[in-house]
Amino acid sequence: MLILIPLISCILIAFSIGSNDTSNAFGISVGAGIITFRKAVYLLGVLVFIGAVLQGRNVMRTVGKELVALNIEILSLSLFVSAFVIIIANWKKLPVSSHQAIIGSLVGSGFAFGSVVRVDTLLKIVESWIVSPISALLLAVVVYKLMEIVFRRLPVFKVESILRMLLILNGIIIAYNTGANELATALGPIVCYGILTPLQAAIIGTTMLWLGAFLLSERVVETVGKGITSLDAFSGFAAQFAAGISVLIFTTLGMPVSTTYCIIGGIIGVGMLKGVGTIKSSLLRRIMVSWVVTPLLTFGICCAIAKIVLSPYV
Amino acid sequence: MFFGSRREEEVIKLVKEHLNTVLQACERFKVGIENDDAESLKKVCELEKIGDALRRDIASKLYEGAFIPAVRVNLYRFSEVVDEILDTLEDCAIEYMNLPVKLDEDVKSYCITIAEVNLKMSRDLISAFESLEKKADLRDATLKIRTREEIIDKVKHDLCRFLMQRDVEGFWVGKIVSDFIVSLGSVSDLIEDAGDIIQILNVSMR
Repeated sequence: MLILIPLISCILIAFSIGSNDTSNAFGISVGAGIITFRKAVYLLGVLVFIGAVLQGRNVMRTVGKELVALNIEILSLSLFVSAFVIIIANWKKLPVSSHQAIIGSLVGSGFAFGSVVRVDTLLKIVESWIVSPISALLLAVVVYKLMEIVFRRLPVFKVESILRMLLILNGIIIAYNTGANELATALGPIVCYGILTPLQAAIIGTTMLWLGAFLLSERVVETVGKGITSLDAFSGFAAQFAAGISVLIFTTLGMPVSTTYCIIGGIIGVGMLKGVGTIKSSLLRRIMVSWVVTPLLTFGICCAIAKIVLSPYV
Repeated sequence: MFFGSRREEEVIKLVKEHLNTVLQACERFKVGIENDDAESLKKVCELEKIGDALRRDIASKLYEGAFIPAVRVNLYRFSEVVDEILDTLEDCAIEYMNLPVKLDEDVKSYCITIAEVNLKMSRDLISAFESLEKKADLRDATLKIRTREEIIDKVKHDLCRFLMQRDVEGFWVGKIVSDFIVSLGSVSDLIEDAGDIIQILNVSMR
């Protein structure tokens, strides 16, 4: 009976990732009219599943096996708190990374229940949270400069048609990462605890993520896509491509990193090329605050619930 | 076109047809006022209707999702300005046919000069669009457009000064002649605007 709590929480997190993070993959392409929303969602479903099956295990192992020695209490509490925080944040439109919520609550629960928390793995994860947006930033600068050099030699309509292809390629990479990294982070604890096999987890996770995307993401996708493309498709592509490659590299290393933070890193990189004045410092501050607060908040909530509410029963 | 989809190719083809329609309208208009040929002037009105249909086709293809928004917006604006050129040429043709008096040879010669330069500008506009498509140097064609527009401005001012020294037979005669000259003079401004949009298109993906 107790395994239902982490299972349902995982399902809710996957649904939530689908409803919010589809825009990371195909927002620009849908906004630009290159692909319809319906096609984008079907493509997302296929690629998320492929990502989860082919490379999801790396991140699943880091989150579910190498970070905290799990037991059913830690698993239930951490995933329940993560799902709760992610859903509330989405509802209130707060920028919260699902990775940070899950890692924070896993460490918090492990700490509160006196389980072994591997500090070296935790440090590696935090390090990857710092390095991944920076690598996306640097990569975005290189990609943008390369595109400038290559595209300068080509006619505008040819550039446009190549860019359309590249935007779809971008969407494919990010959708793959969503399965191999974002979804894998949510599924890692239940797979490593043995509640589901990796394949079962990939099927259930992908289905819920796809449902979230299909039912709730259309408005987010259109807002993000049209907002970015009407500004500059060229810069949008460079930022997204850099983010996609960064996340792919960290996925291969088994590190759970946020695509959204990498995209922000990429956007800052492109913004720096165009002049530091183009970067909105207030927005950047808000994101930095969320970056620090999210893992600490879930850590704190898990500790508090474990110590105050659950300790008399455990 | 490299990597291009059919929808984008169709829009480019329609834009080229639109520009060729402007060229034909400029040719017909010049022949019409040179020879007082009503058939040629009526043909200008027919070409304006063809231009309207082409603009609608371009708009619907763009609405269906041809090109990414950065290019789409400018291409639509371009087709609108090209259509305005045809509208203005139609106004010129109708106003010329409705003139209550025959233009004297001096005034007519000024008007033919303007129509001739307009014709050359419409060719330059086609060259500019072809350069945009092939990544040839745009500066040549757009510079020619701007230079010719300055020539037309000068001819227009000379014509106005010349007309001010003439007696006017009545209010309506003066008004219709004046309207005709204003319309004729504004064709080059619109061609110059279209040339500017080509330059904006050229940098829209940079």
